[in-house]
Amino acid sequence: MKPSGKGLWLYAIVYLAFLYAPILLLPLFAFNDGTIIAFPLKGFTLHWFEVMAEKDQLHIAVKNSLIVASASAVMSTILAIFAARASTRYDFKGKGAIIGLIMLPLVLPEMIVAMALLVVVLQVFGDGALGLFSMIAGHSLICTPFAIAILSGAFQSLDKSLEEAAYDLGEDRISAFRLVILPLVLPGIISSLLISFTISMDEFIIANFLGGTQQTLPVYIYSSLRFPKEIPVIMAVATGLVAVSICLLIIAEYFRRRGVAKTGGKDSGGFL
Amino acid sequence: MTTRPMIELKDVQKYYGDYHALRGITADIRAGEFFSLLGPSGCGKTTLLRTIAGFEDITSGVVMIDGKDMEGVAANQRPTNMVFQSYAIFPHLTVEQNVAFGLRKDPRTKEEKAKAVDEALQMVGLKGFGKRAAHALSGGQRQRVALARALILKPKVLLLDEPLSALDKKMRENMQVELIRLQRQVGITFILVTHDQEEALVMSDRIAVMFDGEIAQLDDPETLYRLPKSRRVADFIGHMNFLPAKVVDEANGEIDVDVQGLGRCHINAKQAPGTNTGGEASIGFRPETLTILYEGQSASDRETTGSVEEVVYYGDMTYYDVKLDGVADPVRLSMRNVPGRPVLDRGTKTRVAWSPSALVLFR
Amino acid sequence: MDIKTRWGRFTRTPAFNGYAMISPTAFYALLLLAAPLGTVVYLSFMTDGAGVREVINQPTIGNYLTAWTDPIYRALMLRSLFVSTLVTLATVILAFPVAYYISFFVTPNKKSLWLFLITIPFWTSYLVRVFLWKVILGFNGVINSGLISLGIIEDPLTWINVNVGAIVVTLAHAYAPFAILPIFVALEKIDRSLLEAGRDLGETALTTFWRVTLPLAMPGVVGAVLIVFIPTVGDYVTPDIIGGGKIPLIANVIQKLMLGIDNMPLGSSVAVSAMLIVGAAAAIFVLINARFLKVKK
Repeated sequence: MKPSGKGLWLYAIVYLAFLYAPILLLPLFAFNDGTIIAFPLKGFTLHWFEVMAEKDQLHIAVKNSLIVASASAVMSTILAIFAARASTRYDFKGKGAIIGLIMLPLVLPEMIVAMALLVVVLQVFGDGALGLFSMIAGHSLICTPFAIAILSGAFQSLDKSLEEAAYDLGEDRISAFRLVILPLVLPGIISSLLISFTISMDEFIIANFLGGTQQTLPVYIYSSLRFPKEIPVIMAVATGLVAVSICLLIIAEYFRRRGVAKTGGKDSGGFL
Repeated sequence: MTTRPMIELKDVQKYYGDYHALRGITADIRAGEFFSLLGPSGCGKTTLLRTIAGFEDITSGVVMIDGKDMEGVAANQRPTNMVFQSYAIFPHLTVEQNVAFGLRKDPRTKEEKAKAVDEALQMVGLKGFGKRAAHALSGGQRQRVALARALILKPKVLLLDEPLSALDKKMRENMQVELIRLQRQVGITFILVTHDQEEALVMSDRIAVMFDGEIAQLDDPETLYRLPKSRRVADFIGHMNFLPAKVVDEANGEIDVDVQGLGRCHINAKQAPGTNTGGEASIGFRPETLTILYEGQSASDRETTGSVEEVVYYGDMTYYDVKLDGVADPVRLSMRNVPGRPVLDRGTKTRVAWSPSALVLFR
Repeated sequence: MDIKTRWGRFTRTPAFNGYAMISPTAFYALLLLAAPLGTVVYLSFMTDGAGVREVINQPTIGNYLTAWTDPIYRALMLRSLFVSTLVTLATVILAFPVAYYISFFVTPNKKSLWLFLITIPFWTSYLVRVFLWKVILGFNGVINSGLISLGIIEDPLTWINVNVGAIVVTLAHAYAPFAILPIFVALEKIDRSLLEAGRDLGETALTTFWRVTLPLAMPGVVGAVLIVFIPTVGDYVTPDIIGGGKIPLIANVIQKLMLGIDNMPLGSSVAVSAMLIVGAAAAIFVLINARFLKVKK
């Protein structure tokens, strides 16, 4: 007899509740008419969102975050296209080691990456070099492995003979890429851009180490968490951030699935 | 005929690192013929096809297509087109767009191209399918799109890489007939890679049997079947029985052999197509060249006796494993089932008719 | 064959195309990852200067002596390893049944929806999630105030808030998808007929799980352990926010040495030491596992 899995189902639901508990609490406090983050709730207010609109420093942080996240998304996706294509299409000596190095940030503590970059930036360029550029460089590094994971899936489901068929029918390397490969991996590329953007948008440690005087949104949030009276506003900011993140993720997942469907492949799972 | 061959292969060698994939392939493929490369997996047949297509560089040797040396000519410049094993139908395009893919740089007008696409689709029996999405097609339909897409470019040679292996048996047999019809209609040289000996025999004008990166024999299907040059080729194509034999004498185009269980007989020198390789000689014969003699029948040539060891009933045919008197291992023979002629039981003693003219000598 | 055509041939080989294709990304990783990591190792053998971020190019092993003998670093390192081990155990043990459920009981077309649901919280602001755990578990937090208002307890529970347990819960939450996905992938690869074969050969559902499913899922479990264990050692945000600085871990010290106290060589050597210890622990774990699996075969 096959077990029905009812017990496991219940467990999985409880586990999901555990995963979602913090996110579900977030809006409660963002709309709560009280300065202390605790139950019982005091009543509904939009006050914290109004305060949010007046904080100049917050606006700068948001702008910085958008710049860093956009640039990192583009950069890491481009880097990932090269790596994903090389690893799925060609065999060469030392491939494992090279891919291993590129994927290393996935297992390396972010702080180690951050301090290593900090040391080099300070030693080579000096204090003045810390800022948006150094954050973009660092974020591109840690976003690339995720982008590769997504794009490898897209490139893997490409039948190698599709490309050969394009050559066979008279196209050259570049036009074959443009006419056949690019359209087929485009959903993967969009998905990769969105995921990289989301990671960079939320990243704190590297931004804190390499930002210098420039604050991103997470750095701003971190520094505000120390002041209890700022916290309700932070809840409002975070609610917005989480809402945007979830929207981006849903769009990314949509494109990833469409890509899999398009190439006729089998859906093998999520982002990682 | 003395016209120039469409494809000339001269001592083609291919190494993958240390692995010797093609060991000196030399062959001519005639214009307009249906040519098959037949062999087990790993014999180099697909590699050879891909070197003709230009997807693989050769290590040494010459590949000429229509009199031109193909050294340094890329796949997209060669007058060949390919039908891939997976069909490689572009999943993001419609059937029409797939078929028209190779016409991008064609100087013809849009209308002329559309007409060509329609004709190509009609030729492969997919009229009216043009607007369909390619990824929604069945296996057989994809195969047809792949054919139309390649043939629309009017290549000098069409290369087919195991095109029928993904289809079920019925569909495969239909497509075999269709491919033969298509090849006669367009008159293009077809080169087919297959591991299915029956498919090769049915479809081809000539077949090259390949083992271990070499062509073991290149002949028309009948010669290949009747007069295989080696036991390996004989074994790969259909079933062949082997009996130990001794060459007693050889003179005037006749060979005198002593075959275990069959006795002394004379065969024509042509019945020993293989080259002398030394070692023990043996005689081979196909199952259908032996006939069971029923009550009152007599052999037109020679006969011997034996007992039925195993019976395998196939509907239209029955296979018997018969232990001939004086032979250790049973031989297989096949009989067409005819009304009024009973299928024999195991253990039946029987007379068997045979003919020296159906024997092949390997030595 | 002259050199030119040999080069020409090489440029058409898959290997050359592979190298050419991967070189931009590889160079980026070399320049921004390998070289900086090398610099950290180099710095860890240098002497700290008096000036701000000054480093004197004078080789020494003094930093390592300090890092390995100073009782504070030793205590923090041990605590970090302890916390990371707890986190890893909790994360993997909590995650396994979920991965198992998704792989074995969810219908195939719903699997990716489940995986998606599990990954969503992971992509939302880490800082805020950590902070919210503090809100949930804190002295005046959701659980305490909830229990008090329901009349179940009178005074706030203290054992759930500012302590190692809170850090473990928070990190187990943060790394959930990292544990679930590798295990899920390993479970998906198991040929279902193997399980039927197990049952057919007289095993019960439980012993089949123990003798067939679990050994075959081990690669995924090992992957999950590594991908949770190593990064958690480097986390300093969680102890900072949850513990309010009262329960520092090794990463907090490194962060202080690098940014606050400004002793980069010492910070580097503590970081290198921490990574070596973590690497060694991970390697030992992998080796033990390889042996365990070999015996199972």
